[in-house]
Amino acid sequence: MNWTLNLLLLMFLLTTAAVAISLRDLLAAAIVFSAYSLMMAILWTQLRAPDLALTEAAVGAGVTTVLFVITIFKTTRRED
Amino acid sequence: MRRVAVIGVLLIIGAMLFYAIGKMPPMNSRNTPDKTHVVPRYLEKGEEEGGARNIITGVILNYRGYDTMGEVTVIFSALCAVVALLDREKRGLSRSGPDASGVRSSIIVRTVVRFAFPVILFFAVAYMMLHGEASPGGGFQGGAILGASVIVFTLAFGLPESTRRMPLKVRTPLESTAMIGFLSMGFIGIAYGVNFLTYLLPGVHGTIAQTIRNLMITVIELGIGIGGGIIFISIVFAMMREDKFELRPDIPQP
Amino acid sequence: MNFGRIFHNLNYAVSALLFLIGLYTVAVKPNLIKKLIGLNIMETSVFLFIVSVGMVDEGVAPIVTGGYKAAEAVGRVVNPIPQALILTGIVVAVSTTAVALSLCLKIYERYGILNATEILGREEP
Repeated sequence: MNWTLNLLLLMFLLTTAAVAISLRDLLAAAIVFSAYSLMMAILWTQLRAPDLALTEAAVGAGVTTVLFVITIFKTTRRED
Repeated sequence: MRRVAVIGVLLIIGAMLFYAIGKMPPMNSRNTPDKTHVVPRYLEKGEEEGGARNIITGVILNYRGYDTMGEVTVIFSALCAVVALLDREKRGLSRSGPDASGVRSSIIVRTVVRFAFPVILFFAVAYMMLHGEASPGGGFQGGAILGASVIVFTLAFGLPESTRRMPLKVRTPLESTAMIGFLSMGFIGIAYGVNFLTYLLPGVHGTIAQTIRNLMITVIELGIGIGGGIIFISIVFAMMREDKFELRPDIPQP
Repeated sequence: MNFGRIFHNLNYAVSALLFLIGLYTVAVKPNLIKKLIGLNIMETSVFLFIVSVGMVDEGVAPIVTGGYKAAEAVGRVVNPIPQALILTGIVVAVSTTAVALSLCLKIYERYGILNATEILGREEP
């Protein structure tokens, strides 16, 4: 297993998660959450799980992000 | 005060988790019991018992078929819950019409989506769902990509255009194909006198049995794929409808 | 707490950290959408943990191309069972997110805000 790539992906994962929960603009938080989903999909590929990578990529970027953005557009965009 | 208490609880949970992680065998080790006993058995017999060359498809449709039926039930109930919460048309509270903003996407987006949409659809149905038993793929992956492609189409062309091409009377029978696929294949087993959702019927042997099993698995995969995709599309359509609700007068305006 | 072991099990450690980040978000942040983002982070961290248990160094994905013999499959192929279980888990995660977001829409319709402490009428933490 490629330790460098694995370490980089895990650091990116922690960074995007920490950023996604601390942004005050909810739309930006949803987009950073989509980047978190992308990092998770690449990590599934690294862990030799192609079915999970396909499902996470399609569901994380295609459905969950769209649902979050639709909800944020219909409700408030700022956190407070 | 509450924040300090939460951080204290998190530190306790974190200490317990890290202590347990320190005691686990290292990752990528080859002589843990799951890799010496479980993995060889499922890899050796997975193809002939499971019925698919992709062992994960064999596991989720044959060894753990009830779990997949439960998953289909969960996603179908999610659709029912979303439509029950958000479908305002029956109660006469919605005034849905054309898009609220009225802004069309740029021509680059529309042209690219017009080219890419049939390719993605073909990839989802032909490669993922139908070839999913011999390559990475499977029923639900194809369904998720199908749903995502129609969502991309809706984002590029607007909701009225998309609803015109896939109206409610087309979506409603297709949403239940997943459950119908499972139940029909399951009751075939009961009709022959053996268990529910079994692929080895008592009267047939040899290559006919393999053909029947592959056919039943393909029917279930297509059902899960198409049903799951249409369910995602319906959920997004139900949430995206631009009807303007009015807040009650005693609630502060946002 | 053996620190060398934790570095060798880096996937597990990161999954535990992500779980704690998600739990902090659900417990502390007052906005409902933030709580849902934290819930999703918690769910995906557990998926990462379970699939990392089945990982084999320099393994291949469990798709049969040439037939496997049991003796040589031990060190070469990744465990397929956790992947099959987590596939169902991903679907359940997206379903609960969809229902929770439609509940958020209804709450906004009724209350006008999406702030949990103000809706429940409590004071600030």
